Amino acid sequence: MAAPEFSRTARQLRRLLLALLRMSALALVLLWSAFPIALIVIGSVRPAAQIFSEKNLVAFSATTQNYVNLWKRWPDFFHNLANSLLIALGATALTLVVSFLAGYVYARRQGRWLTASAFFMILVRLLPPIVLTLPLFPAVNWLMLNDTRTVLIVLYCAFFVSLGTWIMKAFIDQLPLELEEAAAIDGSTLWQTLWHIILPLSHAGLIATSVFIMVFAWNDFLFAFIFTAVDAKTAPVVISEMVGAIDGVDWGILFAAATCQLLPILVFVLLVQKYLIAGLAAGAAKG
Amino acid sequence: MRQRRHWMLVLPAQSLLVLLLFLPALYVFWLSLTRSTYGVSPVWVGFSNYATVLADPYFWTATLNTAIVVNAVVLLEFLLALAIAMLFSGWIPWRRLMIAIVLAPYAISEVVSVVIWKFMMEPYAGPVTLALQAAGLPVLDWSVEPAHGLAMVILLSVWHHLPFTFILLYTALLGIPRDLYEAAKVDGAGAWRRFVDVTLPLLVPAMLVAVVFRYIFAFRIFSEVWLLTGGGPARTTEVLAVYLYRQAFRYADFGAAAATGWLMLLGSLLMGAWYIQQMYKRMFVGGRA
Repeated sequence: MAAPEFSRTARQLRRLLLALLRMSALALVLLWSAFPIALIVIGSVRPAAQIFSEKNLVAFSATTQNYVNLWKRWPDFFHNLANSLLIALGATALTLVVSFLAGYVYARRQGRWLTASAFFMILVRLLPPIVLTLPLFPAVNWLMLNDTRTVLIVLYCAFFVSLGTWIMKAFIDQLPLELEEAAAIDGSTLWQTLWHIILPLSHAGLIATSVFIMVFAWNDFLFAFIFTAVDAKTAPVVISEMVGAIDGVDWGILFAAATCQLLPILVFVLLVQKYLIAGLAAGAAKG
Repeated sequence: MRQRRHWMLVLPAQSLLVLLLFLPALYVFWLSLTRSTYGVSPVWVGFSNYATVLADPYFWTATLNTAIVVNAVVLLEFLLALAIAMLFSGWIPWRRLMIAIVLAPYAISEVVSVVIWKFMMEPYAGPVTLALQAAGLPVLDWSVEPAHGLAMVILLSVWHHLPFTFILLYTALLGIPRDLYEAAKVDGAGAWRRFVDVTLPLLVPAMLVAVVFRYIFAFRIFSEVWLLTGGGPARTTEVLAVYLYRQAFRYADFGAAAATGWLMLLGSLLMGAWYIQQMYKRMFVGGRA
């Protein structure tokens, strides 16, 4: 008689327990992802003397002292940050143009040679970047492009053109052919069709492509480390110098610099989250 | 005429790839068959650079370390990403915000990731070190103990790249039709059976892509190791990319560095072989590019 009653309570209890378990798992996931980043950002506005005290993690009087110190000790840092921005924007613009044009052709045209060249694009993606620095280093020196923003812009673009083309192709594949056909009947040239019809319709693909190249170019250490020295040095390289400073690490300054470097790109990625997910699905899963 | 115009549109992309990636890769092969350093023109030496590299114990340390790090990173990342993707396929409060938080490490640079983990794991005062000590757990003595140094690299890499694997698996999971689960439920399958019989088989393609991609990218690992341990102490935590960098840019032995580079390149192609074959089949046999 009491059995059904009991089993219902048991079921409810089980469900409650399960929900509790799920929520604690979620809390752990959030802690794992967000806590390390929050630690740095919060640390950057804590008084330097308190950085290692585990008390006052939130209750402290915020200070801009670390940022002021950063400005005083590493006056060039903001110049390096500007370099990072210019390089990231340049690489993104170049990659978008080149990938858009190629992606259109791969989406709309077929042929043995086109297929072969698309396959080549995939193959080239497997080359480890560090291997290519060996011949590129003397070549860049010979062209006297060492320590320029240009060399990084072109290199970043070369490494992302293949992913970019693939993402653009995936997005253009989904556009209906009718518009282009109608435009062709009206006598529109290829360039007009590309500019007036395809480009506005493929904005989602353009944003998705730009997320990947922007994040890479803004964050890259390897190429900036090898190909820049003074003028074109980017923020990540300077931050790595702060970590390795001989007179010991000044965590307050380091946190301020790291926060300046990470916040803009973090905000950008979170704003375009939707496109990032779509682009990853299009670019990685399908090719 | 039309054909030629289309080639014009592909030309910028292809010439970037050929000039900056493909030809340099071939040149590395030629370089690996010569002996050269700064100011000395290359002299043909055949395969002797390969023999030198393969006889170098540091090369084997680096290879072993790379194998450990890559396998551990990919496996841990895969299991964690799968678990989180499963969690997120159910009901979650503020879903968009939660996904945004899980994605956050993707936006962080390698350098800042190293700063973060170095701080948290600081031997005497880092918050995580203190927490571990307080809980009576062992702490990572990563700056002294090579194995701990590698563990730190693994931890940092998993944290940094988890969003990539998570998104691939999560989007694939969302693509599984709901009625398959309903059907399995009607047939009396419990949660575990539904996972094994419905979810896993349908997730296999996405899992393979995620794992292959992560193998190829994890194999390149350089900055994390370089910035965290510098390959030390005494070159015990070097990975292949760090080994190559040291040969080329510290010892200026371009022949040996190029040989290492080609071995890495072959390793990369080997790891990507399955993927390449799949793409080849789809593109040339399956018709449309």
